[in-house]
Amino acid sequence: MSEVPTRPAKVIKLNMINEPKDSYTGGPSSLCPGCGHDQISNVIIAAAWENGIEPHRIAKMSGIGCSSKTPAYYLGQSHGFNTVHGRMPSVTTGAYAVNKDLLYLGVSGDGDSASIGIGQLIHAIRRNVDMVYILENNGVYGLTKGQYSATADIGSKKKKGTPNQTQPIDLCALAINLGCSFVARSFSGSKKQLNSLIKAAMSHKGFALIDIISPCVTFNNNDESLKSYGYVKDNNVTLHIADYIPNREPMKEVEVPEGHFRDITLHDGSVIRLETISEEHDPTNAVAALSALHAADTESKHVTGLLYFDGSKPSLIEDLDLVETALIDVPDSELRPSREILDKLNAAFLS
Amino acid sequence: MATIANDFTINIATANGTGSQSANLILLQSLFEMGIPVSGKNMFPSNISGLPTWYIVRLSDLGYQAPGDRTHIQVLVNPATWDEDLESLETGSVVIWNSDAKKEMNREDVISYPVPMSSLARKINPKIAKLVTNIIYVGILAEILGIDQSALESALSKQFKGKEKAIGLNLTALGLGRDYFKENLSKEDPYVVEERQQDTAKFFIDGNEATALGCHFGGVQMLAWYPITPSSGIAEAIIEYVPQLRTNDEGESTCAIIQAEDELAAAGMVIGAGWAGGRGMTATSGPGISLMQEFIGLAYFAEVPSVFWDVNRVGPSTGLPTRTQQSDITMLYEGSHGDTQHIVLIPGTVEECFEFGWRAMDYSERFQTPVFGLSDLDLGMNRWACEGFTYPEQDMDRGKVVRDREVFEAFEDFGRYLDVDGDGIPYRTLPGSGMDPVLYRGTGHNTKGVYSEKPKDYVDLMARLKMKINGARELLPAPLLREEIECEVGIIYIGSMENTIQEIDDMLEATGLKVSQCRIRALPISNQVGEFIRRHETIIVLEINRDGQLWGILRKELPNDLVTKVHSVAYSDGQPPRARVYSDLIMAKLEEVKQ
Repeated sequence: MSEVPTRPAKVIKLNMINEPKDSYTGGPSSLCPGCGHDQISNVIIAAAWENGIEPHRIAKMSGIGCSSKTPAYYLGQSHGFNTVHGRMPSVTTGAYAVNKDLLYLGVSGDGDSASIGIGQLIHAIRRNVDMVYILENNGVYGLTKGQYSATADIGSKKKKGTPNQTQPIDLCALAINLGCSFVARSFSGSKKQLNSLIKAAMSHKGFALIDIISPCVTFNNNDESLKSYGYVKDNNVTLHIADYIPNREPMKEVEVPEGHFRDITLHDGSVIRLETISEEHDPTNAVAALSALHAADTESKHVTGLLYFDGSKPSLIEDLDLVETALIDVPDSELRPSREILDKLNAAFLS
Repeated sequence: MATIANDFTINIATANGTGSQSANLILLQSLFEMGIPVSGKNMFPSNISGLPTWYIVRLSDLGYQAPGDRTHIQVLVNPATWDEDLESLETGSVVIWNSDAKKEMNREDVISYPVPMSSLARKINPKIAKLVTNIIYVGILAEILGIDQSALESALSKQFKGKEKAIGLNLTALGLGRDYFKENLSKEDPYVVEERQQDTAKFFIDGNEATALGCHFGGVQMLAWYPITPSSGIAEAIIEYVPQLRTNDEGESTCAIIQAEDELAAAGMVIGAGWAGGRGMTATSGPGISLMQEFIGLAYFAEVPSVFWDVNRVGPSTGLPTRTQQSDITMLYEGSHGDTQHIVLIPGTVEECFEFGWRAMDYSERFQTPVFGLSDLDLGMNRWACEGFTYPEQDMDRGKVVRDREVFEAFEDFGRYLDVDGDGIPYRTLPGSGMDPVLYRGTGHNTKGVYSEKPKDYVDLMARLKMKINGARELLPAPLLREEIECEVGIIYIGSMENTIQEIDDMLEATGLKVSQCRIRALPISNQVGEFIRRHETIIVLEINRDGQLWGILRKELPNDLVTKVHSVAYSDGQPPRARVYSDLIMAKLEEVKQ
């Protein structure tokens, strides 16, 4: 008789708040197999876990479209709101005004953000709403089966019909011009860079836009498309390799990158470390960031990394001059003025 | 000559942006100070400067607040509408006219008081002559009608709140007007004012300000708004009162104010605030509600508390932005695509504007659904006599929110959309609480909030939503009934028609017709409305629109045997409702029904 070998007990890794990664996962995805969005969802799970954020303190916000379905696939212990097409920023703004203590994690697509909801994106940036805005950008309307979006490149070709002739909107350039306090571009296949950027965005106080090229495997993966997987993989200029160090005890040793790097201290004291690959980009310089975008555009390349950062801007909550306690935690007795105050008002009107 | 005291209408024709509004309010306030029942209607254009404006002051010992059928005293300052205004006057009317206006006075059959208003004004200060012209005609009116100087002075000090220079200037101008009349003209008309003792102390306030105060006493935590006439006054008054009512010693407030980029965003913010557990609201008008439709459906289907005030103006489209109407009823009640039904509160007085202001928040959180306040331009932007506001008799109703883990654990089974109590209202937990995390959605969902396209899930959900809103019928503000014994005809009406109904009633009674009244104050309608209809032979549904929107709602919801009793009188020309117009229409309709 041979002995049945006993398997060693599985070691469950815990993060800094002693949560397993499972606490950050969601339901199974119903997107097309191989969709770039699923890769992003996985990075969101990893980033939230590694950052040690209590899952229930995150609010998952989205609009309508393939990207906006993804909140069901991550952070199952967080409340969320899958709102209406393009209008996620306003819903997030209202929630944030009454409860500033949550981490608002918005996920949106290029239909949401570059077309129907571009106004809401612009005004959320203008107000500097304290949120992470993940833009899963594939240049195509997936859920309605393959129409061009406003970020589709000239010459992009869908399966049927004529190539796109209308110039695309670059939301990173737009955001930088609007004074967005954190602007980054990445690629759904660049797991490491994306992980660092999302973690940094989560620590940033203010509006953090991460435009992630996320190829649509079904409707926009032709060679002509500048957002196809193959194209991006071959034509991706990485501006920085970003590494992120939480301000609390790090979960694991951070590999200090070789070569030239610079540290940027985020609002909560954590540090994002950028390694310059192609040139020494100064992310506090908006002109340099726009130049990098234009240069890459001219060469039909995508420049990725943290393009622009300004940690000094007050966020919306500071402009609102509210009490220290989140409004939803203010007791009713402090919300409704007293009977005496009404008596005084009535008397003043009568005098 | 026999005098006519406290029973006439003054119409003042000026141009927008000349400062006439301030002079007109001084006139109105001074009559009010004398205890005379008076109402003022501002008929202003959608314009900042130059277009015609009329201000109608109605004095009525009977307490009638509608503009009245005719003008008794016409003040002519604006050359642009001069001929038309003159032509519309009845024989024997009084005309006070600016003889510097280079216009002719071509009516022989009126009592004419020419006054060189512009030159008198220039005497005081040529630079602001246009502004001063307005206060000159108030001085003339004061002299003709016998308005107390002390009442005028009191009105002036209220208007200019301690700005001594402005008060002094206006006093001089008033005096010039008075003196000019005394020295150059003599009274030939019968109209006078007489002081009255009022039983109760009252003050003037417009509906928008009253609504805003009500919202503060409802503990509003976030106002998101986009400017639009005639609702901006609500938002502006909320903002104005934040320092006084909602701010601590450190200058920090408990009410966030966000001016949104458009009405869609305003609606989104309100829903975001409601989702997070706060009391969010917006104020807008018909065009804004049109833009908010998609969000309204989301709030209904995902069951998110949210409060929307609609100050109705004339539609469709941009319509007549500065005129009044009751035409958003259907749009509010059945707002958004798909099958929906919403709670609508319809105040008819400034006291109710205040009360429904705080109640809207309670209902919205109780029923976890959008709640609309439906005011209109007439109620919202004109000043009405008010006896004072009553403090809410109950604590804030925050609805079925599970805030406590122990309470949460006690549930056998928890589902965001599970009807535990059989009233169609489920329990909710808040983001950040760590309890029952749910991804709210506008897509079909089951009792757990999980996406579902199953027929049974959809049918159950829609049935529960209907039951939930139906459950509100008898909890909302009940209809106000003024019922005559054994009366055949009853009139059902809403909102600001309250200010005209008594005059309509008296006109009908003068023809020998006694009617009962029922003012609906909320949708969905209370069963009391059906009972009221049952007790009468014929029912007139009176409303300020073309199509009889309220009548349509009644026909849809009443039992078949009552539907045939209900007849529509709907009319709107943008003017505030005049009693004669509606009483004539009611008589015609009753005649038609008889045949």
